[in-house]
Amino acid sequence: MSQPLLPDVAPPEDQTFGDIVWIQFKKNRVAYVSLWGLAGLFLLATIAPLLASGRPFVWDIGEGRSYPWFSSLLDRNYFENPVDIFFNLILILAVPLAVLITVRLKQIRGLGLDKRPRRAKIAREARMLVGVLTVAFIGILFTPHSEPYTQYADIAEERMENGDPTTAVFPPVRYMFRKTGFKSLESPSWSHWLGVDESTRDVAVRLLYGTRISLTIGVIAVAIYVTIGIILGALAGFFAGKTDIIIQRLIEIVMSIPSLIIILVLVAFLEKTSIFHIMLVIGLVRWTGVARLVRGEFYRLRGQDFVTSAVALGYPTWKIIFHHILPNAMGPVLVAATFGVAGAILLESTLSFLGLGDLSAPSWGQTLSEGYSSGAWHLILAPGFAIFITVSLLNLVGEGLRDALDPKMRK
Amino acid sequence: MLNYVIKRVLLMVPTFAAISLVIFVVLNFAPGTPGAQMATGEGGGQDASTAGEQRESYRIFKEQFNLDKPVLYNTRYNLGKDEIRAELSAILNESGDVPAGRRIEAQENIENWGRYAVPGLIAVLTDLDATANLRALASQRLTFNGQRQNKNVYKKNLSDDERSEVKAISKANSEIRGWSFQADSPPEDIDAIMAEWSQWYDTNAGDWAYSASDKAQIFLFDTRFAKYWNNLARLNFGVSHVDKRPVLQKVISKLKYSITLSFSSVLLIYAISLPLGIWSSIRQNTLADRVVTTVLFMMYSLPSFFVAVFMLNLLTRGTPLQIFPTSGFESLDTSQMTLLEYLKDVGWHIILPIFCGSYAALAALSRYARSGLLDVIRSDYVRTARAKGLPESVVILKHAARNGMIPILTLLASLLPTLIGGSVVIEVVFGIPGMGSFLFESINLRDYNAVMAVLLISSALTLIGMLISDLSYALVDPRITFE
Repeated sequence: MSQPLLPDVAPPEDQTFGDIVWIQFKKNRVAYVSLWGLAGLFLLATIAPLLASGRPFVWDIGEGRSYPWFSSLLDRNYFENPVDIFFNLILILAVPLAVLITVRLKQIRGLGLDKRPRRAKIAREARMLVGVLTVAFIGILFTPHSEPYTQYADIAEERMENGDPTTAVFPPVRYMFRKTGFKSLESPSWSHWLGVDESTRDVAVRLLYGTRISLTIGVIAVAIYVTIGIILGALAGFFAGKTDIIIQRLIEIVMSIPSLIIILVLVAFLEKTSIFHIMLVIGLVRWTGVARLVRGEFYRLRGQDFVTSAVALGYPTWKIIFHHILPNAMGPVLVAATFGVAGAILLESTLSFLGLGDLSAPSWGQTLSEGYSSGAWHLILAPGFAIFITVSLLNLVGEGLRDALDPKMRK
Repeated sequence: MLNYVIKRVLLMVPTFAAISLVIFVVLNFAPGTPGAQMATGEGGGQDASTAGEQRESYRIFKEQFNLDKPVLYNTRYNLGKDEIRAELSAILNESGDVPAGRRIEAQENIENWGRYAVPGLIAVLTDLDATANLRALASQRLTFNGQRQNKNVYKKNLSDDERSEVKAISKANSEIRGWSFQADSPPEDIDAIMAEWSQWYDTNAGDWAYSASDKAQIFLFDTRFAKYWNNLARLNFGVSHVDKRPVLQKVISKLKYSITLSFSSVLLIYAISLPLGIWSSIRQNTLADRVVTTVLFMMYSLPSFFVAVFMLNLLTRGTPLQIFPTSGFESLDTSQMTLLEYLKDVGWHIILPIFCGSYAALAALSRYARSGLLDVIRSDYVRTARAKGLPESVVILKHAARNGMIPILTLLASLLPTLIGGSVVIEVVFGIPGMGSFLFESINLRDYNAVMAVLLISSALTLIGMLISDLSYALVDPRITFE
């Protein structure tokens, strides 16, 4: 028997690029904790109706038992904004989805596949799941379901006073962010933890529901511009030549228009601004950075061997662009996107602060603007810190990600 | 190098044209019309004559600002009987099923088409198959649409030729003003008016016989964009819709405030961030560095409008302190002050705005400076400098800092647009009457010309800033050439 040429060592663990980045990222404790902080914010946004809603979980005033809270979740008369419907849908599906995902993951692990095929399978099924959820969400949006608006809390209180038999189980806070009628500019107290704003609404509940608005605006606006940026950047970088020149000129033109000013103007000139307009405007104006980034990465990558072999193997061009090169260019894009979410949140609150935002949405900037006009401290500090914390968490995660992707920083 | 600069400057011209086109199209297709409050001609309680006068003054307003023109290209020379008839019947709404929005649109269309609609209107008027109401409306519209635009009527110091032209146009316009009839007017009146119209149309028919070159000219040049560019090429940004003062003059009067503010901000930013960045980078990973880095990071993440409102409330409103003035650039009465007092007064007013407008950039720049220096501090030539026995201060300041600061210096160019454009939020919060506040007011008043001017000026500055930035790279780093 011949001796093996190499001493008997364990084969190196099969690490994907993602694994390496994730391990590096976890080493950065601040960034890692911030990521959990963001998850916490998302959770808070999702469970908002569990904490504050005017609809009781259980309702019985002698006319039979009903469950208004559960039916309110998809009620377009109660939650007017599609953003709320989206988060409510997640809230409804949270438990079944968690069970489904755990069981399915266990099953897939049981198949005994290798790491990479297993991950590919999981990714495929995750994509399917996201697709199904998107279709469900759109379906719900287009089949509006609305119920008459009932003041459950008032009815319950009245019946209690009269001594009528009443079963009403409410969330801890018995009203939603639109509820007015408290004492204007009341300072924080036990009944209103963050006080009351100028328009007689509870600030804490508004900030809670505002989390939904801010997170959605950040993520969707950035998703829009990252998509535009990737497509244009990839085309410019891959095809070079004339395509590149045209797209470069386009980038230069859009870049030269100061984005804050044009966003301000566009949003102000819209007649009825909704948060979707704001997302769209931010998305359509801010894509140049990502496009330049992606273009540069494609320029760097397109001469490399794996691209040449993909071309030689006769893959279609779109497949080479989006399946072969793009995943290698995504690192810097992800970093830019993380910072971009923070930027978009700041931008939206600036717009709301200037009074140009969506007046029906409980935006943080709107509360701060009331703080500016009234000079009440709780209306300045509470939304200010909410914005500050969210933006800081995102910036910290972005920095952690950037360091994790940078080979020079690896320890 | 010179060739490169010339090439870049020449390239800026088409880029700027494209920018102005983009901004122009975006602004003009954005919903909301300037002066819309004048257009309430259809108002419920008003009697018909006031409503009509209001609509007429709105039409003249639109004509003055070219708002009746199509945005990019004009095909109104093709307007014929069918189009006119469709709009007229939409206004009349005889069948009763035209939605209100469509009726308003039809009204606007007929008004905006101006004299281009005349052949179509005449055709409807003389069409004996059309209903009496339709023909009556056509005659009423003709009394407006048939009028010529009297461009020089408000101009001062007219020459004799111009004066007689103005007179002739007013005379012709007032002549046709009476030629309208109602559906139930006596037939002989109608016939008389019809005769006037047909004679008038015959004498003026040349106005609507467009040759191919006429059509091409109208297609390209009788548009809002062409008119705007025609003025822009002579650096005329138009007059403000609000107070009819030239926009450029208004902008220049705002510059004083914004430039003072931004210039002091930039000085402050560079004066603090460069030393701070160098200081913390040579103490990398010490406690002091960590504290500075953390504080800078927090400053960087704090939204500036929050800090502005916070400072405003804390230090100016007497809740609890009242150290600085609440708003404005200077005290109300500055006429009695000596120069020194005046400077002190202005300084006292703008300390807070400067701080709130610059701390974020200060934090960002310090972080750049720190990482820029850290990049070079480990390079071979710095080690060589140390090995030569140079004192540490010379190594850092003379050898390392020079190269590490290259990216920072070139950032200065990118500050140019904000230098002029000012910060909208800070100026609004602190009531500084600079460019930012001006833009914000103009947006709220839908003053298109003013908004266009601010956008164009700041875009032009951005273009120049980008050029300077590219050039300064080449100036400070001899490895970069543009050959």
